[in-house]
Amino acid sequence: MVPIRCFTLFALAGLFLLPSPISGKATSRSQSEERARAIQALNRLTFGPRPGDIDRVLTMGVDKWIDQQLHPSTIDDHELEARLAPLRTLGMSPRQLAENFPPQPLIRQIAEGKQPLPREREKRAIYEAQLVRFREKQDKKAGDSDQNDMAMRSEALSEEQKSQLLAPLPDQRVRALFSLRPEEQVNFVSSLKGGERDRFLAGLSAEQRETVLALNNPQQVVTDELLQAKILRATYSQRQLEEVMTDFWLNHFNVFIGKGAERYQLISYEQDVIRPRALGKFEDLLRATAESPAMLFYLDNWLSVGPNSDFALGIRRQPGRKHSKLAPPNPQAKRRSGLNENYGRELMELHTLAVNGGYTQHDVTEAARILTGWTLKEPREGGGFSFDERKHDPGTKIVLGHKFKESGQKEGYELLHLLAHHPSTARFISRKLAMRFVSDDPAPALVERMAKTFLKKDGDIREVLKTMLASPEFWASGSYRAKVKTPLEFVVSALRASGAEVNDANPVVRQLQGLGMPLYGAQPPTGYSMKAETWVSSSALLGRMNFALRLAAGKIPGVNVPPPALEQSDQSNDVHQTLRTLENSLLSGDVSPQTHETISTRLDDPAISRRRLDDPARSPDVPLIEGLLLGSPEFQRR
Amino acid sequence: MITRRIFVRNSALAVIGTTAVPNFLRRAAFGAVTPATRTQRLVVIFQRGAADGLNIVVPHGEAAYYAMRPSINIPRNAVLDLDGFFGLHPSLSALQPMWNQRQLAIVHAAGSPDPTRSHFDAQDFMESGTPGVKATDDGWLNRCLHDVTLRESPFRAVAMGTALPRILVGSEPAVAINNVNDFGVGPRNPQVSPLETSFETMYAGSVDAVLHGSAAETFDAVKMLKSANPAQYSPGPGANYPRGRFGDSLKQLAQLIKANVGVQVAFADIGGWDHHVNEGSTEGQIANVLREFSQSLASFWIDLGDLGEDTVIVTMSEFGRTARENGNRGTDHGHANVMFVLGGPVAGGKVYGRWPGLDAAQLYEGRDLALTTDFRLVLGEMVYRQLGNHQLSQVFPGFDAQPTKFLGLIA
Repeated sequence: MVPIRCFTLFALAGLFLLPSPISGKATSRSQSEERARAIQALNRLTFGPRPGDIDRVLTMGVDKWIDQQLHPSTIDDHELEARLAPLRTLGMSPRQLAENFPPQPLIRQIAEGKQPLPREREKRAIYEAQLVRFREKQDKKAGDSDQNDMAMRSEALSEEQKSQLLAPLPDQRVRALFSLRPEEQVNFVSSLKGGERDRFLAGLSAEQRETVLALNNPQQVVTDELLQAKILRATYSQRQLEEVMTDFWLNHFNVFIGKGAERYQLISYEQDVIRPRALGKFEDLLRATAESPAMLFYLDNWLSVGPNSDFALGIRRQPGRKHSKLAPPNPQAKRRSGLNENYGRELMELHTLAVNGGYTQHDVTEAARILTGWTLKEPREGGGFSFDERKHDPGTKIVLGHKFKESGQKEGYELLHLLAHHPSTARFISRKLAMRFVSDDPAPALVERMAKTFLKKDGDIREVLKTMLASPEFWASGSYRAKVKTPLEFVVSALRASGAEVNDANPVVRQLQGLGMPLYGAQPPTGYSMKAETWVSSSALLGRMNFALRLAAGKIPGVNVPPPALEQSDQSNDVHQTLRTLENSLLSGDVSPQTHETISTRLDDPAISRRRLDDPARSPDVPLIEGLLLGSPEFQRR
Repeated sequence: MITRRIFVRNSALAVIGTTAVPNFLRRAAFGAVTPATRTQRLVVIFQRGAADGLNIVVPHGEAAYYAMRPSINIPRNAVLDLDGFFGLHPSLSALQPMWNQRQLAIVHAAGSPDPTRSHFDAQDFMESGTPGVKATDDGWLNRCLHDVTLRESPFRAVAMGTALPRILVGSEPAVAINNVNDFGVGPRNPQVSPLETSFETMYAGSVDAVLHGSAAETFDAVKMLKSANPAQYSPGPGANYPRGRFGDSLKQLAQLIKANVGVQVAFADIGGWDHHVNEGSTEGQIANVLREFSQSLASFWIDLGDLGEDTVIVTMSEFGRTARENGNRGTDHGHANVMFVLGGPVAGGKVYGRWPGLDAAQLYEGRDLALTTDFRLVLGEMVYRQLGNHQLSQVFPGFDAQPTKFLGLIA
């Protein structure tokens, strides 16, 4: 499937770039070889080079740079931290999130008088706003829309109130807002649109801003900040490999933001479960995902009950007494208790062994039995993992020919250990990594080499990557631009290449939706495909071209693209020189003759060159050239 | 053939009267048949996530069905009875008129014979058309165009969505289209813009085979769409598409078909069928997705009007779900499923296929509805009779789909 291309740069550098990048031994490589290696490393281990990255990597030395990326904690990332600081939800636990940005069921409980309202003014305002909305919805459902209520909401604010809400001082505006009745607050906030909204939010502290947005929709605040953080991290983190790997594992251990209360778990899932283990041991990662509320909820294991467990049979055990069999206290409980094999199956098919990894339907059922009792405490309030002995299925289980003696929660850890160290897992994970970093159809020899390391080094992901990076396949000319970027990779690489300043990542998030890759939005447990054929279609190509043009023209709201640093000669209005400069900065100078000539020819078109007979000295339409390059075939690959 | 169809239709019309009957049917009833310069087309709908066929076309005559699904069954008095044994889920009421008009046929206990219960593999097999064979690199909906001669059009094969699905991958040109009313580069423009020409030239000259091929098809499609201007075809009266991606896909597909751009095979999908927990019964999750599904299909059918006479719509899902409900009032991955076939030439008003029964001994691996009709037999008949491609051994290699075995879904 990989097309044969003419790689000007690699032709210069020699066909095979010699391995041993990790060993640190000084091998004599020519400057152009070293430069080619830097480009390859940047394209594969990061979300794409930024202006100046190649030189920075060359100054440090390619091998040293790779080694640093493999040890992200040694890399200073305070610039990113500063960008993330306003996103306060990132620092909250799932429980705090649910408290501060109440989910619908919590509002219902309060409406029904089962929970009290919080005391603090801001928090209380968020709850009260939701209560207003909740009651309106109830009324609508009941069909008797309360005339008074509606009248109260549409009642005009006094001139004094209005002027306070438009006051120049942010604190004054916020105070004015909170002095309104809940109905008025809801009314005011939901009427804020576009520029008016921006003006109201201008200068507010992060907390004030979140509170105002939460008056409108608290759940959306949680989602928005999560998605924004993803874009900001991918674009600005210095620990690029860690971000790439976090993205890789999030997709491997996919969960779906649209399922129930999953959004409240995702921040912790990414920050506490995945990222710290992204370059660690596979078994740790597997265990952490197995115990994560996000996964237990997404694949339903928290609901799975052993058919012969005490819970299912209605048995209560009391210490010191013979156990007694009781009728289930609630007939519903009996009906609700049974095996759910969703996680047991995907654990083997998608997380470890892979579909041809040598397991049967019987193994799936047995694995599901082992994992009964792995459940959640108060999942809707953001509670965590717990093992419930009463739901655990008793007796011996057999998976893949291994006998698991009855030992409660321990059985699960034994199962995860067995799966994490299985040769099928080693091969599957290695192949998937090679598909991410090398090509859609990686050489079997490379995969075998990586799988061997996986087994020998106790599933150490960093070691597996090192083996890959020491392999000739990674550096071979055939691997150069062999991968078509996914929409996320395309969008972020364009932001990076153009040196974009992202002030508001929400519009970028929406662009990804339009390109068919909503963040955390893969509903099936397979996650998103990494293969070219999935992402190359008419719709997708047009979407990419449009994004490229809009980005370069500064038409993505909240994103500024600075004018590229043009060389002195560009000022003399040499459009062809401008094109060459942009080719260098956006595509490392490697552009096919076809692309170059197409744009070059277009430069003589007045629409692009902006030259007019009466004004031959006007500068060229740099954003248009930039947009054409970002939309070119070359930029779709990495 | 036509005479028989008209005969069937006449008798159907006699029973149900003429309200909500497409014009072509009414014309047929009154003896005026349109001339034959038409495009025969096949629309494939994929229900991704394994739809629960037993709660969609309900075997309400089976005591075992009710015994195995104490909390999620569809009560006998709630189903829309079809033939005294099967009945539609009440959320499918939008499809009942098509059943009554005998345009809707059902094949039960159908699907892929491969035993996999993996969503990913099973979908892959149904799209490649080669169950059990992973090495097939194209999809059957693409292959089925190999021997079909028709007008050259970039829209011969079209998928609604941002990505080209596996089923349409292959050597025949195919386009994926997300929004027919905004399909181009730069600002909306009735003419081809200089920007579009630039990108077209750039990609046309590229040696990158993957991108080059896709782009060529894309820009052909862009040009054709600009001149056909599908935006002028808004949904016809009575076609009230529900909100959501699926309804939107079918609405746009109807626009394309009405714009006469040469659509021969088309594909759309709808997710949200994987109900492991709280599946629901007459209300709840499955009821909601079925409502979206049926209202979209019915609107599409009404919207097509006369063009429905040349259209066959077939639905499929990767496998069915367990006959028994699980511990969470849901169902797990199963085996055989149900398929709908809707269209002008369809001999509808009948549930096809042998019913294997739901007694313990009749279940596949003791847990799932057994399979009695290979999905390729159903699709083979569509390819053979609707598209006129008789080379079924190329479309479904390794499967013996002789016309003598066809179910007779297309009269």
